[in-house]
Amino acid sequence: MKLNLMTGDLMMTDLSVFRVNQGKKRNSLLLQLKKQYMIQLFVLCGIAFLVVFNYTPMFGILIAFKDYSITDGVSGMFTAPWNGFAHFLEFFNDHMFWVVVGNTLAISLLKILFTFPAPIILALVLNEITITPLKRFAQTVSYLPHFISWVIVAGIAGSFFSQTRGVVNEILLQMNIIENPLAILIEPQYFWGLAVGTEVWKATGWWSIIFLAAIAGVDPTLYEAAQMDGAGRLKRIWHITLPSIKGAIVVVLVLSIGNLLGGGIGGSNFEQSMLLGNVINSPRSEIIQTYAFRIAMVEGRFDYGAAITFIQSVVSVVLIFSSNHIMKRISGSSLF
Amino acid sequence: MSIGKRTIEDYIVDLLCYSILLVVVFVTLYPFYFVIINSLNEGMDAARGGIYLWPRRFTLENYAEFFNDPKWMDALFVTVARTIIGTPLTVFFTCMVAYGLSHKNLIFKKTYFVLFVFSMYFSGGLVPYYVVLRSLGLLNNFLVYIIPWALNTFFLFVATAFFRDLPQEMIESGYIDGAGDMKIYFRIVIPVSMPLIATMLLFIGVTQWNSWFDAAYFVRYDHLRTLGYRMIEVINQSLAPADAQAALLLAGSRRITPLSLQMAAMIVATAPIIFVYPFLQKHFIKGMMLGSVKG
Repeated sequence: MKLNLMTGDLMMTDLSVFRVNQGKKRNSLLLQLKKQYMIQLFVLCGIAFLVVFNYTPMFGILIAFKDYSITDGVSGMFTAPWNGFAHFLEFFNDHMFWVVVGNTLAISLLKILFTFPAPIILALVLNEITITPLKRFAQTVSYLPHFISWVIVAGIAGSFFSQTRGVVNEILLQMNIIENPLAILIEPQYFWGLAVGTEVWKATGWWSIIFLAAIAGVDPTLYEAAQMDGAGRLKRIWHITLPSIKGAIVVVLVLSIGNLLGGGIGGSNFEQSMLLGNVINSPRSEIIQTYAFRIAMVEGRFDYGAAITFIQSVVSVVLIFSSNHIMKRISGSSLF
Repeated sequence: MSIGKRTIEDYIVDLLCYSILLVVVFVTLYPFYFVIINSLNEGMDAARGGIYLWPRRFTLENYAEFFNDPKWMDALFVTVARTIIGTPLTVFFTCMVAYGLSHKNLIFKKTYFVLFVFSMYFSGGLVPYYVVLRSLGLLNNFLVYIIPWALNTFFLFVATAFFRDLPQEMIESGYIDGAGDMKIYFRIVIPVSMPLIATMLLFIGVTQWNSWFDAAYFVRYDHLRTLGYRMIEVINQSLAPADAQAALLLAGSRRITPLSLQMAAMIVATAPIIFVYPFLQKHFIKGMMLGSVKG
């Protein structure tokens, strides 16, 4: 697989179909297999793993179309009675349908809106810094949050945004911007902002790596030529640096849109909603994934939960292929 | 980035850039600093608020309490164990499969690729996965932290690209010398792939270290829980108002609160990562670029 950061082409190279019967005898296929049996073994171990942990559970999708209960066990997945699209219809008519879909889309779109420009701006800024130790330090610091688990981030957020004695509230009170502390962690209207804000904090430094790498690939003589022609710093950034990362932008954008239901580039919606969500802010924090999760694990309705998850998977696959296609049409470069 | 005379615009842009950078560094680091100073402050005193720049009443008892608490120490042990055992296993297994996939004349290559890629986007969902784990006897079992993680499909592709980019002459000379594929893999390919292995060890290690979901839903035994899981337990407690916390005084101490203990736990959970990742920076930046066409 080769990823061209300048144009954004991700190509699966070397997908050579095996040659058979090109004037050679059938036996040679077996002979070839025998020659590479160790290599094949290497790969087949991986396939075996996939079969057990990925493809066997896929049969579980069946239960989305059936009347199934966990007491039926594994065999029950095959023997339980069919009920067609009953669960799917139930989801569309569910009173929570618009709430969870709305939240999922809103959070994801807001994330794309804010977490998209941030790494680009950071990469541009870092690129303009000439004092190398400083640049290295800032870079190192910027990807620290990426390695911290969402659990820790939730813990930090719990202290920072706390209604009683939280840093943020204290500062806002001191500066007389607000009169009473804001219940940021509890009330629904803050959740979206909280989710997007923490995501920006956590992901920006990390994603700026990709853009920085693309910027580093730009021919320096381009900048010199532009300066000769009288272009100032900002103009050079706008006309040379930005277009050079067009490919990287497309890649990240397609990934983000494809992952729309999962939340932004990193798919963090689920963890955020699980960790920062609670009963009170659920009108804004409950998303498709957490809803399906509760339906299955808490209410025990595994068949209904499976149906909801299935819808989400299908939509995600459709999204990533169509966003890739649209990107290809618009900008000429795409993910695959 | 500029040659010749520096214009006013240069100075303004520079000022802007340095300011933004300053803000970024501060906003990134301050939360960690905040947790550190709170973990070094007496819990009851911290509950009164106002600890923003340095500890008011310095103490190490939060950490002492942490290391004396069997719940936390069990979790620490489990987390360290799964990271030390699971990470090399995953790296080893994934690289092995990737090496196979990277072989130039692999028969059925296209089929294999399709199978791997498809499994990345489509899954059967949590419940069937749970049922599979159950039938394999992995529930409530330490191995549930190791075996289902053995193959990392994302790094599978990264490693495959990496191996494919290795100079073919290296591998061919191995064949010429009469070595089998297994020998070539271990004696020639692995030693050359250190940047890849370092990157994978870091990322997969961090994932193992931070994981909490499997500890929460696939395990019932209290002594098999991980640090991440204990953290969630405490967080759910501490999101309650501070006064209620004061009422939950830990036995034998009137100065430690659940929150201050949590702060110490967070530092213990984060410190290893903070110490390790800067040294592997060079590798993982390269790792992010693996497989990309050099301009």
